[in-house]
Amino acid sequence: MSKVYKDLREFLATLEEEGQLVRVKEEVMPEPDIGAAGRAAANLENSPAIFFEKVNGYKYSVVTNVHGSWYNHALMMGMPKQTPVKEQFFELNRRWDKFPVPPKILAREEALCKENVITENINLFDILPLYRINEQDGGFFLSKASVISGDPEFPEDLNKLNVGIYRMQVKDVDRLAIQPVPVHDIAIQLAKAEEKNEPLPVAIALGVSPLVTFMASAPVAYDQNEYEFVGALQDGVPCEIVKADTCDHLYVPAHAEVVIEGYIIPRQRFVEGPFGEFPGSYSGCCKQCEIQITRITHRTNPIFENLYIGMPWTETDYLVGLNTSIPLYKQIKATMPEVVAVNAMYTHGIGVIVSTKVRYGGYGKGVAFRLLSTPHGMPYSKIVIIVDEYVDPFNLEQVMWALTTRVKPGKDVVIIPNCPGMVLDPSSNPAGMHDKLIIDATTPVAPEPNPRSCEMLVPSPATPKWEEILRQLQSAAQKKQEGNRL
Amino acid sequence: MKCPRCDSDKARIMTKSPVGGAWEVYVCNHCCYSWRSTENIQISEIFKLNDEKIANMGMLPPIPPLKK
Ligand SMILES: [Zn+2]
Repeated sequence: MSKVYKDLREFLATLEEEGQLVRVKEEVMPEPDIGAAGRAAANLENSPAIFFEKVNGYKYSVVTNVHGSWYNHALMMGMPKQTPVKEQFFELNRRWDKFPVPPKILAREEALCKENVITENINLFDILPLYRINEQDGGFFLSKASVISGDPEFPEDLNKLNVGIYRMQVKDVDRLAIQPVPVHDIAIQLAKAEEKNEPLPVAIALGVSPLVTFMASAPVAYDQNEYEFVGALQDGVPCEIVKADTCDHLYVPAHAEVVIEGYIIPRQRFVEGPFGEFPGSYSGCCKQCEIQITRITHRTNPIFENLYIGMPWTETDYLVGLNTSIPLYKQIKATMPEVVAVNAMYTHGIGVIVSTKVRYGGYGKGVAFRLLSTPHGMPYSKIVIIVDEYVDPFNLEQVMWALTTRVKPGKDVVIIPNCPGMVLDPSSNPAGMHDKLIIDATTPVAPEPNPRSCEMLVPSPATPKWEEILRQLQSAAQKKQEGNRL
Repeated sequence: MKCPRCDSDKARIMTKSPVGGAWEVYVCNHCCYSWRSTENIQISEIFKLNDEKIANMGMLPPIPPLKK
């Protein structure tokens, strides 16, 4: 059984033991230090999480870059930190099939997120060391908060309970802006509430166990409960949740650092943004919804978990890399078993590489069509590359090989104009519409003619033996060099 | 107090630092911009706002018609 974390603190302890968390003990300024350090961490390899013990003017601490490297991502899954990305993909894929694992509902007194309650003079700044992430952001943002909301039409249906990450701007001491993009689940619920001019109750959980954040940012179907996925990814260990204090049909992670409860004010929009986003550019100002906060519960000495976002790769790209790839893989695989793996890690799935066996001529393009009709792929995916089953889609050197040796642009490159797009893609025009580019980099299969045969090189059977010999020689040489240095 | 983004005089104090009088945070009631007294604010020309820009700003998501 792999390691399971009941809350953020247990995960941070493991990161620290593994050398994947660093502490900044000296006091830092909220601006520009925390944002700059998040950017700096993204520039390093195998970056650690960064724990700021003291922030000027505030009572509590901040942690950032918790998901910000493949090492931390592997540790999130309880795997050795050096686990290659493709192996993490297949392990996630295996655990995904355990869905659904019903969550465990705790009594209020068992839930650590209920240790402290604030109902009067609510002020977010008392609890959270809020800071500006990027220079031109319109204010201080929560970039890693799990927002829990229900379906006003079917409030008791837990399958329709949604847990999602939406960017939120702090508009006042007790008010947050929220961005429910129309393609996301919460927008469906909000529309139902606004049609009747009713508020939509929400709970916002900050500082949760890493797989809750991971599932909150995954594009699963509307009637699939994210908590049941967390249990699956914990290899069958149920996620612990507790009922919200102000709304009977909302459940929050039981040991969250902070839970903010309130409601979306219906039929009103206010200026939000700009905000530095995952494509590496600012998304401009827009009129968006606001949440009125009515209650905060929190653990004693809460830790504010937030992430840096900007020019890829940043923590966001590690967070949404595989959780975007797996559902796309599952959805395509269900009807096309020839598909081997899906890499949708580039700019949140705007670029996707699929490896597949080609069942008959033109099948590669069929796989691309299927991708472009999935819930996430239809609006997001713009550039789709299809490679043969023996090409590792997570290995860009291999993908470049496929592009250079398997693509005949006249027949393999197709542009389909005027398709659904993603508003945050700065090339989409009008915002939210773009053209699709399909590149079929697979080897032609009958009835497609392949007029030039190409004889693939086959490695000598002695190659694996020699890989082992060389590895040992190299390791001995490195040890000798270290000895000389001492 | 003047807002650095829309130049209106509708800015107010949102809050003060919970510890040690370290700073204040201000917010503009007209364009919702907020900033801290310890920041060096320089708004890019492209992100400046005026009444016309605010009036023509897009809405996300759109407000659905009321159902009877
Ligand atoms: Zn203003």
